[in-house]
Amino acid sequence: MPAEGMLIRIEDVEFSYEAAHTLDGVRFEARPGEFLGLIGPNGSGKTTLLRCINGLLKPQRGAIFLEGKQVSKMKLAEIAQVCAGVPTDIPDDFNISVEEYVYLGRYPHIQNLWWEEKEDEEQVEKAIECFELEHLRRRKLFEVSSGEKERVLLAKAVVQEPKIMLVDEPSAHLDLKFKLEVMERLHELSRQGITVIVASHDINLLIKYCDRVIIMKEGHIVKCGSPHDVMTAELIRDVYEVEAVVMKVDGEIYAVPKRPLKEGEKGCASKTR
Amino acid sequence: MILGSASLLLFFIIYLSTGQVKLGFVESMEALYGYLTKLGQPTTELTTAEMIVGEIRLPRAIAVIGVGMGLSVAGAIMQAMIRNPLVDPYITGVSSGAALGATMVMLFGITAIGFGVFAIPVAAFIGAIAAFLITMTLAEASGGRALNYVLAGIVTGTALTSFVTLMLSMSPDQVQGPIFWMFGSFNGIDWTQALLIIIPTMIMGIVALLYARELNVILLGHEQAYQLGIDSRRFRQWMMVLSSMLTAVAVAFVGIIGFLGLIVPHIARIMVGGDHRLLLPASIIIGANVLLVADIISRTITGSELPVGAIISLIGAPFFGYLLVRKGREYAG
Repeated sequence: MPAEGMLIRIEDVEFSYEAAHTLDGVRFEARPGEFLGLIGPNGSGKTTLLRCINGLLKPQRGAIFLEGKQVSKMKLAEIAQVCAGVPTDIPDDFNISVEEYVYLGRYPHIQNLWWEEKEDEEQVEKAIECFELEHLRRRKLFEVSSGEKERVLLAKAVVQEPKIMLVDEPSAHLDLKFKLEVMERLHELSRQGITVIVASHDINLLIKYCDRVIIMKEGHIVKCGSPHDVMTAELIRDVYEVEAVVMKVDGEIYAVPKRPLKEGEKGCASKTR
Repeated sequence: MILGSASLLLFFIIYLSTGQVKLGFVESMEALYGYLTKLGQPTTELTTAEMIVGEIRLPRAIAVIGVGMGLSVAGAIMQAMIRNPLVDPYITGVSSGAALGATMVMLFGITAIGFGVFAIPVAAFIGAIAAFLITMTLAEASGGRALNYVLAGIVTGTALTSFVTLMLSMSPDQVQGPIFWMFGSFNGIDWTQALLIIIPTMIMGIVALLYARELNVILLGHEQAYQLGIDSRRFRQWMMVLSSMLTAVAVAFVGIIGFLGLIVPHIARIMVGGDHRLLLPASIIIGANVLLVADIISRTITGSELPVGAIISLIGAPFFGYLLVRKGREYAG
């Protein structure tokens, strides 16, 4: 039953690269302004799922709807107007400046052939101010630090004026402070009405900020719900094959990994799935 | 940009007043004026000076400008497509294909196909396009990524070059013609050839300019370009065709002029930055300038003509090194 007002609806999506199933029977929905976290070990299908949502990969079975429109029937430009992707890293060969890079985010909206319009300029100026990039504006991409790069990436995604932001591993190269800062910013964006889906290995960051987390293993969704409801030591043991403690401090929950499971222990762990 | 156009005009005038026949500057300009006012009249009306300037130097200068523009734009596009600044327009094997075509005509004299004096350009053009089609087929069959194009181009180029080598070693007494062709030369360019170079080059250059913004987006890589709404694989195919056509036109008439398509986009990038809306026009103007200067030098430095490709490398390499050292810090590619 299609629910009203759902921004993203994913129905029984199945995707496989050549031989292996990477997504199998994946289904969930996301509301406007929802902050979703994708959790799962390497190869569990997080990135593949993100790529299916923005049309980069085409699922063999099932369907994905953005604002009620089926992704496989949308033009690339249409998808780009709704959905922005935030990659893990920026290519920094070819000397493009920070400002030029942010302007590229306007591409899906630019109508004329050559120069940007007033509105594009306004959007870019707003993003540069909002993400505190003024002093970096003329710098080349390879001259900015990892923490600054993350802000540049977000600024470019924001000028795209998306309704959905797909963020793949935003915190990979960042230290503690920047990790938190990025998540704060993404959370802020979701409160402004953008649906944000973040895939990350940093479980604690996701359970701290996300409205809901989706836990994946081997292309299936194992659990989906609010972090407080779904995060348990058993779940982590089952999905990551790691013994962990989940504890509550000041009303927030944290997962602390202890040790990887040994060969004999894994069998009983996956049986509980 | 204005500076570039001004220097282009200057070099253009210098070009017209230099050459193997000594004509002074004023003399050359008078001859040019005379030639232009007598346009449409039979060539028998022209003085010797007017013949030299109007029928030899003017078309040659136009051809030089066309080739300079074409190779530079093709290089800039190719570097963006492959996302590697060390790439030149010959990367897809077009030069080897053209060399094979030209060598076959020169050695076996397949002039009977009816193109007369155009036998070599036509064969070279066909060879260039055929080589590109082989490269493209291989690259697309192996996944169509940028790296596939580089590898397929190297395979195709190497294979075709070995054919040329075999043919040359089997007819050692006729080696000089093909070898000279492979160095690249503007010798003997007439009006028909000049127009056949400049007109398609201009048209394709303008087409390339229309895609400047897309070229910027492509720099971000396949996935990000796709997320901004560009089917980057389709776009890459189309741009590969465009830049190979540009290269094929140049190579067909004047042979292989190396280094230009590699170095000019670099110089342009150092001067105006990585935005293709500035980079492409800058490449066009710088390319035309550099090749004009190189051809002036190749015609005047000794009594006979020197291969212009070698001249380009000779002046280009130190200049490029200088730029790299001066500006290298702010320049990633």
